[in-house]
Amino acid sequence: MWDVIKSVLAAFFGVQQDQRRRKDFEQGKPGAFILIGILLAFLLVVIVFAVALMAAG
Amino acid sequence: MAPQSPPKATLEHSQSASGSATADGFQEEHHYRSGPLRWLLTTNHKEIGSLYLIFSLAMFMIGGAMALVIRLELFQPGLQMIQPEFFNQMTTMHGLIMVFGAVMPGFVGLANWMIPLQIGAPDMALPRLNNFSFWLLPIAFTLLLSTLLMPGGGPNFGWTFYAPLSTTYAPPSTTFFIFALHMAGISSILGAINIIATILNLRAPGMRLMDMTLFVWTWLITAFLLIAVMPVLAGVITMMLLDINFGTSFFNAAGGGDPVLFQHLFWFFGHPEVYIMILPAFGIVSVIIPTFARKRLFGYASMVYATAAIAILSFLVWAHHMFAVGLPLVAELFFMYTTLLIAVPTGVKVFNWITTLFRGEITFETPMLFALAFVVLFTIGGFSGLMLAIAPADFQYHDTYFVVAHFHYVLVPGAVFSIMAAVYYWLPKWTGHYPDERLGRWHFWLSVIGVNLLFFPMHFAGLAGMPRRIPDYALQFADFNMASSIGGFLFGFSQLLFIWVVVKCVRGGVKAPANAWDGATDLEWTVPSPAPLHTFETPPDLRDFKFH
Amino acid sequence: MRKGFALAALLAGLSGQFPISHATGWNMPVGVSQVSRDVYDLHMIIFWICVVIGVVVFGVMFYSLFRYRRSKGAKAAEFHEHTTVEVVWTAIPFLILVAMAIPATATLKNMYDASEADYDVMITGHQWRWQYDYMGEDVTLFSNMSTPKAQIAGTEEKGEHYLLEVDEPLVLPVDRKIRLLTTSADVIHSWWVPDLAVKKDAIPGFVNESWTRIDEPGIYRGQCTELCGKDHGFMPVVVHAMEQEQFDAWLAERKQAAAAEAGGVDREWGLEELVERGEKVYATVCASCHQAEGQGLPPTFPALAGNQALMDDLDRHIDVVVNGVSGSAMASFSGTLSPVDIAAVVTFERNAWGNETGDVVQPADIQALIAP
Repeated sequence: MWDVIKSVLAAFFGVQQDQRRRKDFEQGKPGAFILIGILLAFLLVVIVFAVALMAAG
Repeated sequence: MAPQSPPKATLEHSQSASGSATADGFQEEHHYRSGPLRWLLTTNHKEIGSLYLIFSLAMFMIGGAMALVIRLELFQPGLQMIQPEFFNQMTTMHGLIMVFGAVMPGFVGLANWMIPLQIGAPDMALPRLNNFSFWLLPIAFTLLLSTLLMPGGGPNFGWTFYAPLSTTYAPPSTTFFIFALHMAGISSILGAINIIATILNLRAPGMRLMDMTLFVWTWLITAFLLIAVMPVLAGVITMMLLDINFGTSFFNAAGGGDPVLFQHLFWFFGHPEVYIMILPAFGIVSVIIPTFARKRLFGYASMVYATAAIAILSFLVWAHHMFAVGLPLVAELFFMYTTLLIAVPTGVKVFNWITTLFRGEITFETPMLFALAFVVLFTIGGFSGLMLAIAPADFQYHDTYFVVAHFHYVLVPGAVFSIMAAVYYWLPKWTGHYPDERLGRWHFWLSVIGVNLLFFPMHFAGLAGMPRRIPDYALQFADFNMASSIGGFLFGFSQLLFIWVVVKCVRGGVKAPANAWDGATDLEWTVPSPAPLHTFETPPDLRDFKFH
Repeated sequence: MRKGFALAALLAGLSGQFPISHATGWNMPVGVSQVSRDVYDLHMIIFWICVVIGVVVFGVMFYSLFRYRRSKGAKAAEFHEHTTVEVVWTAIPFLILVAMAIPATATLKNMYDASEADYDVMITGHQWRWQYDYMGEDVTLFSNMSTPKAQIAGTEEKGEHYLLEVDEPLVLPVDRKIRLLTTSADVIHSWWVPDLAVKKDAIPGFVNESWTRIDEPGIYRGQCTELCGKDHGFMPVVVHAMEQEQFDAWLAERKQAAAAEAGGVDREWGLEELVERGEKVYATVCASCHQAEGQGLPPTFPALAGNQALMDDLDRHIDVVVNGVSGSAMASFSGTLSPVDIAAVVTFERNAWGNETGDVVQPADIQALIAP
């Protein structure tokens, strides 16, 4: 689970080591990546929105 | 997206890839009709790909002719050639035709031709649907163009067709415009479904997702974007249809409607649409640069991830087109931050291309020239995009020629140059002949000079205060506009040379071997040139194949 | 190489030219308010950031293109991945952008704070002119482009402020906070004055808020920046900023004129004076759609000359002008034209271009229709 989150975060950042990527594609379940990806995308929206709210005072 | 990895050793029927293609290819020809019906009824991905590309080129010339009408009127201050009503129709039709008729079908044509060849599939997954998606387009655009001849003229409200100018205040032909756009939208959705089905199901045994070329990857992600946003466009134009013909008030403030809602819906479609027109270009350039640098693409995985990140972020930035509509401060900040964020993965792509060049073994054939010009000029378009992202400064840039310069840099030396690069790159595979290198270089240099002379002065015109979509302008903008017009005519007429190069290449030229470029390594270069009508009827053996 | 030329041109063009205080050069004007100067600074910061990134990125690119040519005997290296480098070049742009977002946020917050204004002006966009209401002062202006048609057609020499001149500029005092409320009576327009760094869409059914505080007296010119139909290119914005005393005198004079105008409603008007006044109203308000000779632009804008159905029905004619035609481009003019102007223009239309009805419409009757 933590590995999946780490991989998805790496994907958001856009950089991933070749080994880890290979491992993900050979052992990971696609459903888990998609679910975590959607959740983290949602989280990103919430975080940016919170920052905007704070900045707006 | 199943990350499947079929064991590579289970292929029993393997032959050499090129051998199987040649042997099977020509025996199948009797399935096909002769004469014009053959083109109407064809289900072959190569023929449909060619149809798309020819259609795209035709639309490029029609949309380009309209741009030249615009540039002719703007050559000098004052109204010389045309009246404002017609000028507005020209700007609107130019935008619609270039976006929906030239760039998108151009990429779909390349996808049709090259995706099956790059993944070792015999054809697209849904060949009849493929035929239908193509033939919707000529009908849609004939209908769209015919509105110019209707009473009251064609669409005159800009390619973004903001309500209520496009509803309550629109010419009677708007209903036809809506139907035309619906058809183009259906065509795109069906095409996207076909591409996804093909990529996910028809890869040759042994090819995993991360073995695919960047062109296939970017198209996979683009196709998902298309399916996600084309229905939003369909929704918003249907609401327009109801407002115009059935007395609803979705966008009519007098009836309790909301004109800003239109813009939110339009740009929720429109911003991902921008990436629909640029992601396949990224893919093309990521295939061409390694070929002519003779070096593997740097950071392949990062490129895939960056494409996915751009696709996701593209749904979160739409209101940066609407900074001046009076959004609340929080929304303004949110969209400014997300827009700045999207610059990061885009930057990563540029860095990767340049690092691919670093310590390569570079030659400068025509496709490479176009790809390199893409990198430089697209980046300039990216810089002005970064400037536009700064919301307070955007109040000054918004709806001026600075924006026109920005998106034309992204779309013309961006998307259009990538399509030209792809055509020069794959013409040997399509026709069996190399395009004329000398003419190709002429075409390239004339286009590069023309395109910069055309669009670079627009930055200055915009900063100096010239609004977009005006048929006449104040005297201080005169020099910029004259330079732009000269550049426009140079660029426009250079494209006749492009047509000549393509026609000449189809008719003959230096024979190309199966692998036309010595640095090319992808799967399409294992089949003969020209590619026979049927390829990969038995899947290629990829046990010893070296992916990208 | 040549592609770098574009960048060099940009550098040369911009660095040689600024600072420029008015919108006539190659760069964004610095402008005449604190906000416009802040915006200009942001613009130049982000521009120089782009220049620096561009020099580095294109520098590496052209070095590679030059150094690693096959014709120079280059042999391709094997590397294709380097995690550290990739992390660094992802992180650096991110940090630059965060640094950029901070001053941008501050400026934006300032631009959004329209509280405690000294004056409120309501700006209403019409196809194709601007209406300015000084709220609480009972003064309303209509601002039409004043460039003669002959200059546009090229039969007359173009003046210095070609397309950027109006009959009635928006007059504002300097050193006062002015709240600008923008809305529209028909389609979306956008009110822009580059020297003030104010651009706000005027949207039917919405009232948008922005503000400015002008530092120097002067005349500042801008244009409508949202496509609003046929004459989008011909609806300039002109702001005339003056010292407070001058502004007060101007405002008092305008109030007097408005009061005198209101008095005109009650008296009986003759055919000739109505036609004379109506001709002017027609030229500024109606002619852009219905055309100078009343021939219209069918089917969107119907003809008035020789429109027998309309000439046979006076009540319908008045109704169309007063209330507009819902679902069409014909706006209601009850809020934007005075009863005298409506009476005058209807009278004019019924007695011009061969429409010889002889009808005279009295302002008092229109007044009764609008406010019974």
